[in-house]
This record gives sequence, structure tokens and C-alpha cells, in this order.
Amino acid sequence: MSRSRTVFMSAFAAAALLAAGAAGAGNPELGRAKSAPCAACHGQDGLGTAPNFPVLAGQYADYLVHALKQYRSGERENALMAPWVSDLSDADIADLAAYYSSLKGLQVPKR
Amino acid sequence: MRSRAVMTGLALAVLVASPSALAESRPDAVETCLGCHGIKGYKNVYPTYHVPKLGGQHAQYITDALRAYASGDRPHGTMHANAATLSEDEIQAIAAWFEEQGR
Repeated sequence: MSRSRTVFMSAFAAAALLAAGAAGAGNPELGRAKSAPCAACHGQDGLGTAPNFPVLAGQYADYLVHALKQYRSGERENALMAPWVSDLSDADIADLAAYYSSLKGLQVPKR
Repeated sequence: MRSRAVMTGLALAVLVASPSALAESRPDAVETCLGCHGIKGYKNVYPTYHVPKLGGQHAQYITDALRAYASGDRPHGTMHANAATLSEDEIQAIAAWFEEQGR
């Protein structure tokens, strides 16, 4: 592989990573660190500590982002969730979603 | 004494049989749900995001969600239309079935 080609490919990979970041792909490691308050109800494993607290483990990240933003805007009213999400940034939300999505849990049922 | 042993045996048989019986019988009401929630990678549009996975979700959370969709407390056009037609029995059956999946 020529040197110029290597440089080109690296630049392309870097651009792809930047694009992924811009599209809101979160960092699961950062999300794990930010998830401490969530764990009280949703569990560190994301399986939910009581039947009324949903399992988050394995859920689609973009659905979790949607849900968190609905809680934050108040479109989805929930007295338990509201105080926890009001101060979250878009980056926080993306990171938390990436973390819970990376855990083993929910499935799409077979038809 | 003998009848007590029979009763215990019967109770054990019921306990052993019931989980598989639950898993095998899919409630009719679930069919509609699977049109979206049973397809891997299926997406909601406007806004676009994956239709959530429900296999292994807590039944209590699912019943809460369906009631909130039915009442309109939780906004979603398609889910409101579907949830509003469900009886309480159907809600319970759907929730129990999804919880059972993916465990």
C-alpha cells in the first residue's frame, strides 16, 4: 500500500468517526460513568430493580435517546424521570443510551 | 396421607407445566404488536428511531405504558390507536407474553 493511500484512508476513517459523532453516536464508556444515578432504579446492569422500572439493557440506543429527550422536554410527563433528565445535555443522553444499549438484555421476539 | 402425596404431585405437575404452557400460547392480541415490535431493526418515522424491543421487558412496565398510551398521557398516534381498543385482559396477556420472551 502506498504511503499516500494510507494517509488518504486514515483521513477517510477519521472523517467517518467525526460524522458518527456529529450524528449523535454516544460513548458507552462515558455513559457508564454517567449512569450512576440511573442505576438506583434501572440497575447498573440495566435490568430494572423493580417491575415498574423498565429494562434498558439491550434497548435500541436511538429509542433511548428519543425517550430521554421526550422526558426532558416534558412531552412525556413522568414525575420520577423529570428531575433526573432536566440537566442532561444531548451528549449525556447519547452516552447513556450507548451504554445501556451495549448491555445484554432485551430481545426482539421471534414471530 | 396418600391423598396428600397425590395432591403434592399434582401441584408439582402444574408448576412444571405452566411456564411452557404460557410460552407456547401466544395471545391473539399480540399479533398486532408483532407487526412492528416483532421485526428486527423496524423503525418509527417522524421522528425516526427504532421501534423498541419488548422481549424480556417487565410486564408491569408494559401494562403501565399501554394504559398511558390509551389515556393519551403518553403521546404516540399509532400506539394510542392500538392501546385504546385493548381490554384490561388483553393488556395483561400482552404484557405477560412479552416479559416471557428473551428470558
